[in-house]
Amino acid sequence: MLNSGRIFILTAFGLSDVKRRPSVIQVLISGLFLGGVYALLAVGLSLAFGIMGVLNLAHGSLAVLGAILYKKSLVLHPFSPWIFSVLATPIFLCLGFILHLIIVTPFRNLSLSEGVVASLIASLGVAFILEDLFVWWQGWEPISTYFSFPTFNLFNLKIPGLRAVLMGMAAITIGLSTLFLKKTDRGRSMRALSQDQETASLYGINPGITSMSALGLATIMAGLAGIFYSVLYPLGPRDGLDLTLKALFIVVAGGMGNLRGPAVAGLLLGLLESFAGFFFTYTSTDTIVYSLLIVYLVLKRGRRRQ
Amino acid sequence: MKIWRISFLTVILGALVISAAYFSEGYLGILVFSLIINGIMAVSFDIPGRSLGLISLGHATFFGMGAYCFGISITQGFTFFPALILSVLLSAVGAFIITLLLAGLGHGYYSLATLGVLIVFQRLSETLESLTGGSAGLYIPETISKLHCNILAAFLLLATAAGHVLYSRSRWGLYSKETEASEEAAEAIGIPTRKVKTASLMISAIPASMAGLLHLARTSHVSPVSGFSLTLSITALLASRIVPARGILGPLLGVLLITAAEEVIWTKFEGFNHALFGLILLGAAWYQGVQSSEAGLNLIKKFRVGEK
Repeated sequence: MLNSGRIFILTAFGLSDVKRRPSVIQVLISGLFLGGVYALLAVGLSLAFGIMGVLNLAHGSLAVLGAILYKKSLVLHPFSPWIFSVLATPIFLCLGFILHLIIVTPFRNLSLSEGVVASLIASLGVAFILEDLFVWWQGWEPISTYFSFPTFNLFNLKIPGLRAVLMGMAAITIGLSTLFLKKTDRGRSMRALSQDQETASLYGINPGITSMSALGLATIMAGLAGIFYSVLYPLGPRDGLDLTLKALFIVVAGGMGNLRGPAVAGLLLGLLESFAGFFFTYTSTDTIVYSLLIVYLVLKRGRRRQ
Repeated sequence: MKIWRISFLTVILGALVISAAYFSEGYLGILVFSLIINGIMAVSFDIPGRSLGLISLGHATFFGMGAYCFGISITQGFTFFPALILSVLLSAVGAFIITLLLAGLGHGYYSLATLGVLIVFQRLSETLESLTGGSAGLYIPETISKLHCNILAAFLLLATAAGHVLYSRSRWGLYSKETEASEEAAEAIGIPTRKVKTASLMISAIPASMAGLLHLARTSHVSPVSGFSLTLSITALLASRIVPARGILGPLLGVLLITAAEEVIWTKFEGFNHALFGLILLGAAWYQGVQSSEAGLNLIKKFRVGEK
């Protein structure tokens, strides 16, 4: 089964060179793990857009903040990424509440389209402010955290244990969020609000508190994605907007407002980036990824009028 | 158009043209030139922005395209005017392909796609090192004097402003407004919405690409970050939105405000200029929010002269 899978991948990419076989599979695995982190990042953004109609351009900067906080915490104590994720959750929840007061509350009286533009500009402002604060706080050096974890063998393939655990954690976070939205009262309120705000208000749902909780949850996801990302790859203090853009494109490709689509699209983006870096140069990765996403937008979304 | 508005507009444009001719060297020369370039970008951004409601986050794509086409033509041995004509033609073809592809997208998706196009061009100009000079950028020798550059830029601003007024008053401008109100309804009454969008976006793209080539001609250097600049795109967006005045006066006054603020930020607050630019963005967004609330409206009315 696994061999036929290998042969399919190798044939699909026109590779028959025996020496390159393990590399392709490793790239596939690495892409999946990176995709897991992208999925976590994108699901948070999709949640915020689906419930509040807010395209939060500071989402990636919050991920960078997560990475910086984790790096700083390592000076105090060698926390594992998963322990620190649990400890950082309340901090990101509070940050989400504060962000709500800055980029959502002031625009509640605007029409939907005006509100989207205003919150987009405000969140871009927050992203710029955070970028400078990050440079001031920790300098220009890339944020990279190291955590030692064993690698294990599975069907003669080397699986990096840390990446597998992080991907598992990303999947658990997405799963818990889906359960929260489906099974809890607050989650149901969020879903009701995303469908019809006025009717939801008539049923006693407080739109302010509910959307604040949604942004809090989205911020937690961004923070966790940043912590996980910094363990895998170094992050620059000004990489927030790049991360946001990737997450935005994942959300657009996967469908705004739902959680399953962006999760799948995130995994695909991770694979796409890994393979683009493998077959072409590392610098051409972004060009290929963004070009494909634009083509997707033009072909798929251009037909569906908003 | 009211008389006071025409007079005010003439004073602003006249002052910019005279300053362009008078101050070509030194700090003031650079300031006037950046005012004019920001003006061209904001007014050209406003053409589809106001009539079609399309928010482009990648308007600087055309700016960078013009600059790089011009720079490559000069390095290939062309003189100023042939290079200018060639780069305008090449940028127009590039802009036509981009606008044709993106014209079918709805508002939110259009904004995202324009941002994506900006990043693709930025990365391409970094990757194609032999042609574009890579991350370090492209350096060209001086092709025309700074004074001529300023004067050409000032006339381009006048032409863009005239294009804005003429377009908004033309049949196509009315078609655009109808398309913005409801694309389906516009199509039902026989308006070719796709053509309208493409025409409007093309009218907006060409002045931006010419601004890019004039910028390179004056500064002799363009890099992926300065050519395909997100900050330039955002400045154009902000300038066209920040002043709630109708017609062309809004983006022109917006440019005066934003360029002045940027000048203070980039020169006086080293290390925190992004943060201060971010504060301006926040302020602009909050101002929109305040305008929409009843308490905010009452507050604004109190400060308006002659309004009871």
